[in-house]
Amino acid sequence: MTEPVEVGSTPASSDVPPSIEAVGLGWRYAGRPAPALIDLNFRLEPGRVLLVLGPSGSGKSTLARALAGLVPHTLAGEWQGSLRVGDLDIATTPARFLGERVGLVFQDPDCQLVMSRVDDEVAFGLENRGRPRAEMRAAVPETLRRVGLAGFEPRSTATLSGGEKQRLAIADVLVSRPSLLVFDEPTANLDPPGMYETLERIADLARLRRHTVVLIEHRLEAALPLADDVLLLDDTGRQLAFSPAGSVGREDAALLEASGAWVPRSWLGADLPATAEPGPGRAAAGDRLLLRAADVTVDYPADLSGTRRALDNVSLEARSGERIAIVGPNGAGKSTLLFVLAGLRRPTSGSVGLRAIAPESEPAEALRDPSKLRSEEIAGRVGLVFQDPELGFVARTSRAEVAATDRAIRSRRRVNDQAPPDPDGVLARFGLGHLAAIDPFRLSQGEQRRLSLAALVLWPPAILLLDEPTFGLDRRGTESVMGLLDELKATGQVQLLATHDPRLLPSCDRVVAMDCGHVIFDGSPDEFLAAPPYSPPDPWRAGVAAVAARPPAPVGASR
Amino acid sequence: MSLAAPLTSVRPDFLTRVTPAARLAAGMTWLIAAIVTLDPIVPIRLVIAAAVALVLWSGLPLRTVPARLAPLGFAIVSLTVFSILLSGANADRSLAAVAAFGPVRITAPAISAGLAIGLRVIVIGLTTLLVFGPSDPTRMADSLVQQWHIPDRFAYGTLGALRVAPFMADDWTLISASRRLRGIQARGVAGRIRDAGDRLVVMLVAAIRRAERLALAMDARGFDSGIKRSHFRELRVGWRDWMTVAVAAAVAVAAVALPR
Repeated sequence: MTEPVEVGSTPASSDVPPSIEAVGLGWRYAGRPAPALIDLNFRLEPGRVLLVLGPSGSGKSTLARALAGLVPHTLAGEWQGSLRVGDLDIATTPARFLGERVGLVFQDPDCQLVMSRVDDEVAFGLENRGRPRAEMRAAVPETLRRVGLAGFEPRSTATLSGGEKQRLAIADVLVSRPSLLVFDEPTANLDPPGMYETLERIADLARLRRHTVVLIEHRLEAALPLADDVLLLDDTGRQLAFSPAGSVGREDAALLEASGAWVPRSWLGADLPATAEPGPGRAAAGDRLLLRAADVTVDYPADLSGTRRALDNVSLEARSGERIAIVGPNGAGKSTLLFVLAGLRRPTSGSVGLRAIAPESEPAEALRDPSKLRSEEIAGRVGLVFQDPELGFVARTSRAEVAATDRAIRSRRRVNDQAPPDPDGVLARFGLGHLAAIDPFRLSQGEQRRLSLAALVLWPPAILLLDEPTFGLDRRGTESVMGLLDELKATGQVQLLATHDPRLLPSCDRVVAMDCGHVIFDGSPDEFLAAPPYSPPDPWRAGVAAVAARPPAPVGASR
Repeated sequence: MSLAAPLTSVRPDFLTRVTPAARLAAGMTWLIAAIVTLDPIVPIRLVIAAAVALVLWSGLPLRTVPARLAPLGFAIVSLTVFSILLSGANADRSLAAVAAFGPVRITAPAISAGLAIGLRVIVIGLTTLLVFGPSDPTRMADSLVQQWHIPDRFAYGTLGALRVAPFMADDWTLISASRRLRGIQARGVAGRIRDAGDRLVVMLVAAIRRAERLALAMDARGFDSGIKRSHFRELRVGWRDWMTVAVAAAVAVAAVALPR
C-alpha cells in the first residue's frame, strides 16, 4: 500500500475494484422458517457491472445487504458458505472495514438520509470513520459535484426532490471512496424525472469502470444496457443462472419468467407479439357519469412557508367503466386530487360530485358531495387503495379485514335483506384463501395489495382511487392486481390510478397528466406515449418497451 | 414538533453563534426558576426576559413565533382555566369571591395560582424556542456529543428519529382516511377513543418499520462501528457561551430574589 495510513483507515482499502466470489452462499433470517438465499455460486470479475434479477422474495436485497456486511454482522440469522469481496471474507470481516470498501444505496431515499443539512449528510459516513476535518472539508463539495449537486451544501435535505435525495444518497456512499457499489432498487420510489437523473448517475459510475457495481433494478430497459453480467434468482432464493448479460440461455430466461419476475423480451425469443393487444381494460366505457370535479382549486393553508396552491382550477369527469391514469412528477397535485375526489379534503373553491353505480334501467341518483357523506354512505361510493396497503388495514385477520366494511354498515343501517356475506369466498377469489386467519401485517407486499382490494369487494365502490397500485410488485404480482382490477372494472367501476409506472398506461382508457396543480394533458394513452407533455419525455417512453413485452393479464387471472 | 423545528430563515445573530449546549444550560436556569416558585410574578419576569431575548438576539423571524407557540395554546388556556376553577382556595369561605356563577366561586388566590401555571407553560415554550430555534437539530446533537459527551448512538439516533417523525403525521392522515372511506369511522366518544387507539397501533407499526430501515442505512455507512467519530463541524466555545449562561443565570436569580 502506497497510500498513507491515517487514523481509522484500513490497510486493505484501495482504489482497485474488487472481485466478488460466492461459494455455497446461503442465509436464513432469524425467526423465518425459509432461507432467503440458498447455495449461490458465482464469481464476478473486478470492475464489472452485475445486474441481479428475480421476483419478490428471491433474496436480491439480502444479497445486497450481505455485500455490505449488514448480513451477517448487523442482522441476525444463519450463514452458510462464503462470500468474498476482493481479499475480504464478509463473514469474518468486521463491518467497519467493509464500510470503506462497499457503498450501499437503498430504495427509499427518505429512509437513508440522517441529517437535516446536505453537507452534514455527506460528511456523516466520514465522521463515522473518524476522518480528519480537513479531508471532509475537501471531500464533501467534491463529491456533491460528482452527483450534480454542487452548491447544495447548505440546503435542507427535506426540501430536495426525490431524484435529488437519491443522488445525495449516492454521494453519501461515494464520499468514502468505496470500490464496490451496490444499488438496491434505487429508482423504485422515484417519479420519472427522478428515476431518469438517478439512472444517469449510476450509468456514469458504471462507465467509469473504477468500481465493481451490483445493480438491483426493475427498470430493465434502462438497467440491462449497463450490465456486463446477470445473476438470475428464483422465488425461493436459489440461483437460476449467472452469465454474461448478452448470452442468457432461453431456458434460464423461461425459468426466471415462470418464477414471476420481469424478464427482457429479447431473452425469451422473438416469437411474442411486438405490441400489447388491447386488454380487457380498453373495453368501451359506459356512458353514465359517475364522477364530476368542476373548477377545483385547493390552497394549502398558510404555514411557515406561506400558502401553496396544490390544485388550480382542475375539472375532470369520469363515466362508468373508465380507467384513468393520473400521471405527473411528484408535487404535481396527484395526491391532493385523489383526496379531494374522495371527499377527504374540501376544495378551496369548485365542487366534487359522485354517485353510486346503478343499473342503466334505473334513474341515476343525484351527484353527491363526498365530503358531506357519512362514513357508511361513502363506502360503496368511493374507495382508496394506498401505496402502502398496511396503513389501510383495520382488522387482525384477513377474514375480518374483508368483512369489516360489511359488518359496520350492517350494524348501522340494519341491513338484513341481502344474502349473508362470504368473506372466505372473496379471499379464495383473490388467491388468499389459505391466509384467512393470518394477521394482515404479516402478509407479503403482493398479498397485502390483493387483500386491500379484496376488502373493497363486498361493498364495491363506484369510484376506486389507487395510489401506485403496482408499486414494489414483480410481474406476477402486477398481473394479478391488474387482473383483479379488470374484474372490478367490468362491473362499471371507475378507476383512477395515480402512477409513475408507464407499463400501466396501455391498460387505461385515458391518461390525465398533471404538472404544478394543472391538468396539462387529457387524452388516450397512445397519444400520451407518442408525445409525453414533459421534458425530457424519455423517462416516460423508456418503460414502453417493457409494456409491450407482456401480453395483458387475462380476465379474472387471480393467482 | 414545530416548537423545536429549525427555521431555514434564521438570520445570524448573537444566539445563533452560541453553541447549542450553552443555550441549553442557559435555558435550564430559567426553567428551574419557573418551577421552584408558585406565584405568577417570577414567570411574568421570565416571560418579559424571554421576549426581550427573542426580539433582540435570537435571529428568529418574529412573525413565525405565534405559529410555533400555537401547539401550546390549548395547554396554556386549559391549564389556566382548570387551575382557577379547581383551586382549593375557592372553597375557603373566609375569602371574598371575585366572581361567582351559581355554586361556583372564584377567589383571588385561585386566579393567582392559575395564572402562575399558565405563565409557566409560556416560559417553557419561549425558552424552548430560544434554545432550539436558532440552529438546526444537527448542531444540537454535535454540541451535546462534543461538549457534554452524550453517547453518539443516543444523540444521532435521536436525529434519525426526528427525520422519521414528520412521516407519522402523514401516516395518521392516511390511516384515518381509510377508516372513513371503508365505512367504519367510529361515532360517539367511546367509539372515537377506541378508534384512535387502533389507529395509533397502525401508525406505530409503520414508524417502527421506517426507523428500522433508517437504522440499517446508518449502519451501512459505518455508524457506531467502534471507531471514534470525528466531527465535520467545528464547535468553538467562546466568550459568547459563558456570557449567555452567566446572564441567563443572573436573570433567573433576579427573577426569583427581587422583591415582589
